[in-house]
Amino acid sequence: MRTIATLGLLLISIAAQAETPQQIRQIYATEAAAQQAGFTPSAKRGETLFRQRFALNDKMPACTSCHTDSPLNIGQHAVTGKSVKPLAVATNAERFADAAKVEKWFGRNCKEVVGRACTPAEKADFVTYMSEVR
Amino acid sequence: MRLGHWLMVGGFCLAWLTAESETFRLVHVISGAIVLGVATFRLPWGFIGSRYARFSEFVRGPTAVKDYLSSILKLEPAHHVGHNPAGSWAIVILLGLGILTSLAGWAIYNDIGGHLLEELHEGLATSMLIVVLIHLAGVFSGSLLHGENLVRAMLTGVKNGLPEEAIASARPLAAVLLLVWVAAAGWFIAN
Repeated sequence: MRTIATLGLLLISIAAQAETPQQIRQIYATEAAAQQAGFTPSAKRGETLFRQRFALNDKMPACTSCHTDSPLNIGQHAVTGKSVKPLAVATNAERFADAAKVEKWFGRNCKEVVGRACTPAEKADFVTYMSEVR
Repeated sequence: MRLGHWLMVGGFCLAWLTAESETFRLVHVISGAIVLGVATFRLPWGFIGSRYARFSEFVRGPTAVKDYLSSILKLEPAHHVGHNPAGSWAIVILLGLGILTSLAGWAIYNDIGGHLLEELHEGLATSMLIVVLIHLAGVFSGSLLHGENLVRAMLTGVKNGLPEEAIASARPLAAVLLLVWVAAAGWFIAN
């Protein structure tokens, strides 16, 4: 009986696991600081990353290929034409609220657009830009 | 229906390989639609299809599966002209998982269900892969023990047995219907 209750609580805590963009930025910033002393996240560098043309992938050379030039806008998938919710927290409060989901999409999209995994520093910068852009 | 089996194989492999890609997102969606198309075609075919295709002919309880597996372990496998009891469970489970996985994927593609459904879709697909691997292990060990190449049988439709156990012919009209149905599913879902 106690095991069931414990399991139940565990499941609830997993299901209700909600983070704030600040917490998620902190996770990446701490990771980055461990690799490079004195690291502080920068929205400016995050914006540069967002706008950079990697041009590895014809259909989606940059983040902006799907997410448009402004992260405040609703995006459009470059292949399917489906709409993509805004990246910016200011226009989409659901963004950067689940660390596992954020990590999953950094993993997929960095690999496909940037051509490698993004570093913790890049992720911290990116989350900072998306949290602050108005 | 052998064509359906290989369409399902192709659809599942393609969907698995394109799962993490946005560039190939449409390919992923269409291959999922192929799996859904084949699986939904197979359900009525399990009632009105040719002899060995009918669920009533091959769906057996757990005892039959246990007996069959123990006959294999004793290296004296009981031969079945239709599906063996272990294979029949692979069919039923893979049809079920194929339908659930592709329906979940379809909902996600249309922005229904959110993150939780994405996790479910991935979990279902992984379970499907595990059942496929078990199914493959069963096919290869069964082929060795029966001395009958079951992969070739699934390609040619020819199995060892008595003439009166055979079905009269393959069903070319049903194959055409299946192709039309799968193409329609692919077109409808991708649009």
